Amino acid sequence: MSELAIGISYGVATLLVMFSGMPIAFALGAVSVTFMYFFMPASALDTVTQNVYEEMASITLLSIPLFILKGAAIGKSPAGKDLYSAMHAWMGKIPGGLGIANVFACALFAAMSGSSPATCSAIGSAGIPEMRMRGYSPGFAAGIIAAGGTLGILLPPSITMILYAVAAEQSLGRLFLAGIGPGVLLVALFAGYAVYRYRKEHAIAMRAFEGHGTASGMLDTHVYTMAEKVEMLPRVLPFVILLIGVMVALYGGFATPSETAGLGGLLALVLIAIVYAIWRPKQLRPIVTSTIKESTMLMFIIGMSLLYSYVMSSLHISQGAAESVVAMHLPKWILLAAVLVMVIVLGFFLPPVSIILMTAPILLPPLKAAGFDLIWFGVVMTIVMEMGLIHPPVGLNIFVIKNIAPDIPLKDVIWGVMPFVGLMFLAIFLLCVFPGIATGLPDIVMGAPVAR
Amino acid sequence: MSHGHVDITEAGTELTSPEGPPHGHPLFAALNRAMQRINRWLMVPCMLALVAAACILTYSVIARYFLKIPTDWQDEMAVFLLVGATFFSSAYVQQFRGHVGIEAIPGLLSPRVNHVRMIVVDLISFLFCAFFAWKSWTLCLEAFHEGQTTTSTWGPKLWIPYALMAGGMTLLSLQLLLEFTSRIADRKHSIVVKEAPL
Repeated sequence: MSELAIGISYGVATLLVMFSGMPIAFALGAVSVTFMYFFMPASALDTVTQNVYEEMASITLLSIPLFILKGAAIGKSPAGKDLYSAMHAWMGKIPGGLGIANVFACALFAAMSGSSPATCSAIGSAGIPEMRMRGYSPGFAAGIIAAGGTLGILLPPSITMILYAVAAEQSLGRLFLAGIGPGVLLVALFAGYAVYRYRKEHAIAMRAFEGHGTASGMLDTHVYTMAEKVEMLPRVLPFVILLIGVMVALYGGFATPSETAGLGGLLALVLIAIVYAIWRPKQLRPIVTSTIKESTMLMFIIGMSLLYSYVMSSLHISQGAAESVVAMHLPKWILLAAVLVMVIVLGFFLPPVSIILMTAPILLPPLKAAGFDLIWFGVVMTIVMEMGLIHPPVGLNIFVIKNIAPDIPLKDVIWGVMPFVGLMFLAIFLLCVFPGIATGLPDIVMGAPVAR
Repeated sequence: MSHGHVDITEAGTELTSPEGPPHGHPLFAALNRAMQRINRWLMVPCMLALVAAACILTYSVIARYFLKIPTDWQDEMAVFLLVGATFFSSAYVQQFRGHVGIEAIPGLLSPRVNHVRMIVVDLISFLFCAFFAWKSWTLCLEAFHEGQTTTSTWGPKLWIPYALMAGGMTLLSLQLLLEFTSRIADRKHSIVVKEAPL
């Protein structure tokens, strides 16, 4: 069979087993092994397990369970609620401050936990009822939380970025730093939109009040005293310190990214023990169990995706596909647009981890040849996958919101989320025009990149 | 439909309580219960391994920067612990149907077709995992006989992580075999359909 025919049958076989509903990990593994049997020397099959072990047994990849542990420890403690209350108290005075407080709380929590769904449920379960009580429209309230939660995969330490760094052979430290600028940009855009939307809804509420005297919650003004504000701090500070401490350990050159994961996981456990008295084995069990469930599932997908791309490159499928994309000589930006559309479509079906590992060998060489910076592209791709978390048909965060606020109709949630998808597109556009938003910070902190 | 509470994680929905054992055959019900017990018991070492890995990596930072002790074994030790935790918990995760798949098509199929689809899916999953387990054992034996070590200065024996991988995959294969056979034995048992598409 020709390379092209093998490539096509590999793709078709993958689609077939994937859509059969087989667990992604086993589906990828089964396709890889089958194609190894038919098209590769028999010795390849004998070393298949060694292959998977060697790919997986890197401490960078295996830091993922520890990052998840840190996220679970923080996510399952009342930290989210406390963080939210503090943000609310400190920003209550600004017009639209409640919306801004929600965006900020999401961003901070996302950076600490590294998980989008955890952020949505932790901040959302306190934030959505509060916003609705204050007269924010349900869709808008849901939109803020769904969009804010997505920051989890952009702000460091993000699991998505760990995998991208491995797949693209880029510096993880640099990639983490590159996510911060765009993260701040998105926070600013979300907060700006929250204020704009607040003004609009406030004006409507005002007119309604003047018209027929029904006062919406929006017209309530509750002011926190300084004492109340200060009282909020001690519960939040430890977590902010954890966040900053971990970053300093990483970028001060004290710890490798994987050591940071271990340190962060342990510190998170110690902090919830001290602050919330969560230390008994009975209390810790659900945290660690959910960590293991999620990380085992992810590590299996990762291991098998790596096997899948190994087979793909051994059979010259990825190289062939990459070469033919290069040979098309597409204009730079059209290539980028095509790649991003593909990532969006794949995002309808696959979790980010498999998208990255399966497509990197095909997509990255043409992008590199077209002169794109791969660190920059990693950030753009991450934002695109963030969108996948909030737009239909998958929109994981939408389901989380449905879980915590079941009475908001799905239609409202989806319409509430759409403006934020627009803002993400705007952020990607800005990143294309000013790539320095992403690459500036790593260049300042770690020096200009040596030839990549 | 006998599925438990649904929890949502980064990669999709997952069940937080195991799919109930088939009601059909007492033998399979008993086997299922035994397997559940083994899996639950094995979670304890997995949990400890995870926390231990976090401790070791933390110690690694302290040793290098404060105690000025060179670090050589910490990373590998953590890798072994995490490999063990990952593979030995895989059967437990499967028991909860926690290995996610794309559930876009099944909603469109009739229960009958879905039942056949699940049997085929379970069979292929089982065959793949059994093959993987078998090749892991041969790898492990080879490493044991040849006394292979890793390439680091610490140089621990390679059969240890290989054995962890082989053991975990064997357990996962057994779990899948059990699910496959129970499904065949119990035709009346309806199909598990996930709440939300991935």
